[in-house]
Amino acid sequence: MLELRDITKSYGEIVAAAGVSFRLHPGEMLGFVGSNGAGKTTCMRIVLGLLEPDRGEVEWNGRPVDSNTRRRFGYMPEERGLYPKMRVANQVAYFGRLHGLGKEEASAAAGRLLERLGVEERADDRVEALSLGNQQRVQLATAMVHDPDAMILDEPFSGLDPVGVDVLTEVLRDRVEAGVPVVFSSHQLELVERICDSVVILHNGRVVAEGPVHEVRAERSDRTLRVEVDGALPGWEASIPGVQVVSRSNGSVLLRLGDGVDDQSVLAVARGAGRVTYFSSARPSLVDLFRSVVGSDRGTE
Amino acid sequence: MINPTILVARREITERVRDRSFIISTMVGVVLLAAFALVPRLLGFGEPEEWVLGVVGEDSAAMAGAVEAAAPNFGIVVTAEPLEAARVESALTDGDVDAVIVDGDQIVVDQELDPTLQTAMQAASAQLEVTGALNEAGLNPDEVTEVLTPDPLDVRALDPQPGAAEGAGAIAFFAVFLLYGQIFGYGFAVASGVVEEKSTRVVEVILSTVSARQLLAGKVMGIGVVAMFQLLLTVSAALAAVLLTGFVELPEAAWPAIWSVLGWFLLGFTFYAALFAAAGSLVSRQEELQNVTTPLTMVVLVGFFLAFAALNDPSSTLARVASFIPPVAPMVMPARITLGEVAPWEVVASAAVCLASIAVLIPLAARLYRGAILRTGTRVRLFEAWRAAGTGEG
Repeated sequence: MLELRDITKSYGEIVAAAGVSFRLHPGEMLGFVGSNGAGKTTCMRIVLGLLEPDRGEVEWNGRPVDSNTRRRFGYMPEERGLYPKMRVANQVAYFGRLHGLGKEEASAAAGRLLERLGVEERADDRVEALSLGNQQRVQLATAMVHDPDAMILDEPFSGLDPVGVDVLTEVLRDRVEAGVPVVFSSHQLELVERICDSVVILHNGRVVAEGPVHEVRAERSDRTLRVEVDGALPGWEASIPGVQVVSRSNGSVLLRLGDGVDDQSVLAVARGAGRVTYFSSARPSLVDLFRSVVGSDRGTE
Repeated sequence: MINPTILVARREITERVRDRSFIISTMVGVVLLAAFALVPRLLGFGEPEEWVLGVVGEDSAAMAGAVEAAAPNFGIVVTAEPLEAARVESALTDGDVDAVIVDGDQIVVDQELDPTLQTAMQAASAQLEVTGALNEAGLNPDEVTEVLTPDPLDVRALDPQPGAAEGAGAIAFFAVFLLYGQIFGYGFAVASGVVEEKSTRVVEVILSTVSARQLLAGKVMGIGVVAMFQLLLTVSAALAAVLLTGFVELPEAAWPAIWSVLGWFLLGFTFYAALFAAAGSLVSRQEELQNVTTPLTMVVLVGFFLAFAALNDPSSTLARVASFIPPVAPMVMPARITLGEVAPWEVVASAAVCLASIAVLIPLAARLYRGAILRTGTRVRLFEAWRAAGTGEG
């Protein structure tokens, strides 16, 4: 199990992470979401030892992470990085060796992975000759050539076409089913909702929601209402204190209730505005959830 | 598990040696050096001048023999050829002979007599006269020979200088040139290799498995091995060309000097590679590399010029002092060693100063590298890199 505890890091005035804590369990696929600058990359770099946190620690199976444990991690940085002039298979095998594989072992693993990722016919080409999508597959291969104990991937899906997304999803699911914990950051919330077991939402360097995806969604359901009112003027809900509009579609509005707001008082206002045709607590999608969390914060700042 | 530093070094070696530009630059170096060594001889420079002497009449034979014998003392080679009296004019105008001796006491030339040849013939003539006089005085031939070949004069120098071997000047010149080329070329290769990793961001992936120190050490080692390999190849090829064709004779004394060049290369390369790596880590794009490496380039160039000054006057104060200044010593010292103008203690002391400076420099350069290598974007300032590396394990 990978555990981040109270990770704090600031660059001068800018606070990138303010006490981030969460756990990544064996066989768990965790989506790490947050808007740009929320602190995702900073946290990942700290896990990989590329940055020193100002405070807090990272533990693997109850022991502080050191260079030996890190060598058993697989990492894909946000800014992809490969040697442009090195040949594909050699490159993947080289990273395998850096991660501690023997010579034959490394080239065998490189061959298997390139085949699995569908780039085996480019094995002897220089990386710079490959399309960006294929380079990304090679990048993923370098991150998992050594059959890592845990995978930490920064935006692995960005820039992939739908086929690439499917291949990557399948490959990652495979690892997860083998018991390897995988954490990846992403802006594609539908994707995270679809393939992740759990989610951590980061905002302004803080964890604002965390847990299994269905629980996180259910947790918020008593505070979220879907209401449809026939004949109401647009913006009828604006007068209710402590209520925030998450999304609006076809006369249906998704509301998030602030602390201490009674749903019955919302109903009363709705009835005053027109004929209420639908009134129910709603399970917000991850997108809605994200918007409500991030949006509310933006409102108070 | 194999040491990551070795893995990094091995990658540098295999990728570079396979690169077409390495193969081409090595071949060009070998060809150029061999050409420099051989072409002057092929064109006849440095060979003693050769003259053909026509011999007419029986009385000329003794004179011709004496001229042939005396010629080497004047740095020329004379070959005597019997000539019929009737052919004297045509042989001279056709250039078959350069001068003709007629009846032992007359010399005929086409236009004018070469001054050196004339002096040699004059000396031969004088010797013949003296020999004849001594014979008449009753000395036997052995006694005559003894009189005419006195013991060499005893020379006592007040301030004896170790003599430069013949050809040492040319060897020293090539040594300085090669050292400058390899140290600068491969030092710069270290800087640009560092920037390559930084600009492609591959460094972030690598540093998640190996430490910055291991990556830096492996890179410098790998590139150093490639540079050394190329240097050995170039020098060996040039030596082979020289020895096989036999055009140039290598003095015995030149061998230690030639091998010492390899040692000085190691010192010079390590010194500059550490600095070039630190400089490279400050920038994120190859285009910016020139800016940060210019100061280093200037220092290497100063070393090159000082080494040339040392070639001119290896025992000057300037050359002596420069032999103990680490950034320039690896180029100045080999020049002086090759010219034979240096005492053993100076060599040892200079190498020690270089080693000590490297020992001080590497941790400093490594710290700058560690502090700057992951900071992409604008150029990292020195003190920022220094401070950033203060924390962190790297």
